[in-house]
Amino acid sequence: MLFPIQSASFSPVLANVSSKAAELFAKEGLMAFLTNSTLVALCVLGIVLWFARKATKNMSLIPHKAQNFFEFIIEFLYGQVVNIVGAKQAKLAFPLLGTLFIYILVSNWFGLLPGVGTIGWGESTGFLSVKAAHEPLLRPPTADLNATAGIALSAFLVWLFLTIKEVGVWGFIVHTFGPKGGLKGVMGLIVALVFMFVGVIEIVSIVIRPVTLSIRLFGNIFAGENVLHIMSDMMNSKGPVMSFLGSVALPLPFYFMELLVGLLQAIVFTLLCSVYIQLSTTHDDHGHEEEGDHH
Amino acid sequence: MITSLPTILAAGKVDALVEKFGLAWPKFFAQVIIFWIVFSILKKYAFGPILGMLEQRRQRIADGEAKLEKITKDAAEAAKNAQALIDKAEADAARLVKEADEASKALQERRQQDAVASANSILAKAREAAELEKEQLMSQLKREFGRMVADATSRVTGKVLNSDDQARLNQETAAQVSA
Repeated sequence: MLFPIQSASFSPVLANVSSKAAELFAKEGLMAFLTNSTLVALCVLGIVLWFARKATKNMSLIPHKAQNFFEFIIEFLYGQVVNIVGAKQAKLAFPLLGTLFIYILVSNWFGLLPGVGTIGWGESTGFLSVKAAHEPLLRPPTADLNATAGIALSAFLVWLFLTIKEVGVWGFIVHTFGPKGGLKGVMGLIVALVFMFVGVIEIVSIVIRPVTLSIRLFGNIFAGENVLHIMSDMMNSKGPVMSFLGSVALPLPFYFMELLVGLLQAIVFTLLCSVYIQLSTTHDDHGHEEEGDHH
Repeated sequence: MITSLPTILAAGKVDALVEKFGLAWPKFFAQVIIFWIVFSILKKYAFGPILGMLEQRRQRIADGEAKLEKITKDAAEAAKNAQALIDKAEADAARLVKEADEASKALQERRQQDAVASANSILAKAREAAELEKEQLMSQLKREFGRMVADATSRVTGKVLNSDDQARLNQETAAQVSA
């Protein structure tokens, strides 16, 4: 099965939203890393840390408002993580999964703030006015493939660490390639070959996980940005009043949809990482029991 | 124009993808570093204290529930003990009332017997006194009557009676009176 994708020049077909983050100072050199998405990532970092600091300052058994809100989120997330990966792994995996959810959610929703993606540099149409912000000042990090790939790779590294810590290198190899079912003789050999092949497929699927995770997140948020821009610009040719009204009214329903998409993507990313951790850290107790029975 | 992914890869269009989506190591590492900063700080200064606080609160609630259960158990035990004490006190009180009743009955009977004995004694003494008085009266009567008989006899006979005569007359008169 081949995967059809948009080819040729990969030019944006929907709106004037660039598919890549724009450098703020220099396209080359030391400051090239500072893009509009890096700037928003720093803002998100600041917001998250400010709120975490506010929530954990002067903590008491009777929580204050910020503490109560943060505790509600953490308790809910921790409960979900425990349900998926189990109580033992949850203690180790929760810092990653909790960070993933909070960071992605705040990043996604940050992109919905007025001015994000619309204030920037472009073809001038007058004083402090551009036709379209081709290089916006702010861009949500999750609409930048560098950020989503970085997050996915970080999650992959933590997954690898937790897996090796729990089952060991040999345990991971056995878990991936080892035959299940306890069959002996010729059938056992055939099954072993089948499981060897399945293991190879499993390795490919593991390696490709960061790619799928990052592209899924990037694609959804980037598509959302495009939708909002298209809806905002739809009435541009109908005069200034209609253009203003259209830019306010038409994207409004899609803002609610994007709020939902932002939450959903944070949940999907976190949930998939949880499932990956659960799959690789679960001991094959049934197999051991069978082996025990043979002994 | 639609092209398959393997075709793109084979045609070396990865570079085009990288260029189109702005993939670059400095930007990538900047994002990774920012994520790891958030991860590290949240792990140490947010998740740790919050989970600790949640655990502390959970422990406190569990302790409270355990204490409540113990208090309920103790209260039930205390109620049971109180009921046992009340039952014992009621039994003791009933026994004491019964003993007091029996004692009072015994005392009443004894007092009654004493009263009867006392009355009998008084009656006996009264009878003795009456008897004594009767005897005294009889002896006085006999004496008087003897004297009157002797006096009458002396007057009738004109004879002065000596003491023997008087004694004999008295004796005979007394015998007559007694009969």
